[in-house]
Amino acid sequence: MDTIVHMHPRAAEYPQSDLDRVIPDESELTAGVRIEPGKSYGFFTDTTVCIGCKACEVACKEWNTLPADNLGLTGQSFDNTGALSANTWRHVSFVEKSGAEGVRGTAQQPFQSGWLMMSDVCKHCHHAPCMEACPTGALFKTEFDTVVVQQDICNGCGYCVPACPFGVVEVSTLDGKAHKCTLCYDRLKGGLEPACAKSCPTDSIQFGELSDLQERAALRVEELHARGVPSAYLYGTPGAPGATGGMSHLNAFFLLIDRPEVYNLPSAPSRPSRRVAPSLFSGLAAVAGLTLAAALLFSDAERRP
Amino acid sequence: MPTIRGVVTIAQESRFQLTDGEGVSHLFVLSPHMLAEGDDLEGLQREQARIRVTYEAARNILGYLAQRIERI
Repeated sequence: MDTIVHMHPRAAEYPQSDLDRVIPDESELTAGVRIEPGKSYGFFTDTTVCIGCKACEVACKEWNTLPADNLGLTGQSFDNTGALSANTWRHVSFVEKSGAEGVRGTAQQPFQSGWLMMSDVCKHCHHAPCMEACPTGALFKTEFDTVVVQQDICNGCGYCVPACPFGVVEVSTLDGKAHKCTLCYDRLKGGLEPACAKSCPTDSIQFGELSDLQERAALRVEELHARGVPSAYLYGTPGAPGATGGMSHLNAFFLLIDRPEVYNLPSAPSRPSRRVAPSLFSGLAAVAGLTLAAALLFSDAERRP
Repeated sequence: MPTIRGVVTIAQESRFQLTDGEGVSHLFVLSPHMLAEGDDLEGLQREQARIRVTYEAARNILGYLAQRIERI
């Protein structure tokens, strides 16, 4: 039998279709990475190869037992999910470039024929604003450098919701608690690749160790530039757009070929906690100024005969 | 409120899938007013215990809000 070059050598140990147990460190076979506590893991989403199949959305809902929501049609292209929510932790956005602004497109763009598709998810920020805002400690960093909400600790205060610059976290109207992507924390603990990345048929969503993913992404950008896509860039890697305002870097980062706003991503996200000190001092300065003005007015009034 | 009997086949955080006697699966989310927590669901799933769920319909989702869980 010919050797399959891209197959992991360990895959040959499991030739049967039905397995009676979970393969130890299965992610090594499916994603080429062994999941070990203490290392940083994340997603690299290459939007240029996303075909909008929504397999990631379905896999996420299936694994996490999340109910289908937003029933009905949105009228927004093929996107009936709408947005990330307490029950939708992966959202494939569809952006129609052809015919935008009421002008019929006359030329198709290479690679995606005028369609931009992107599978959005929680960014698992290095300095997570949601975690900084959480008063109960329900949001925490896992041993895999991901951000998770502990459901039994969350009191549903909702401070994390406006703190997230990406609009990811939502408090559920059903159970009154905050919900978001866990980067399949339970799967990681079991040595499994996250459901969305495993189900992605084009490898648009790649899971792995963050440093490896960042190297892979930089090479992909160079390759795209060489192939005539000069607009390709990374969003969320250190020093790149998306990693601004004290964010350092995002554990779930993206390769984009248009402005971040086109994909409904903020062009310069920032940590709200960085605005606390300036706000406090400007408030104190305003109070001091008003006190001084009042003192001057009263002293002036007293001096008058 | 309506009730349904079955076995917890999947438990995730405060959500669970109940499979009834006819093999049909239904998705439930624990109500915040319930005494049970997510940890209790894991035990029920492990034991494959038969339970009765009192529930109400939830708006705009394909699932139900579980108000009460009893072992039977």
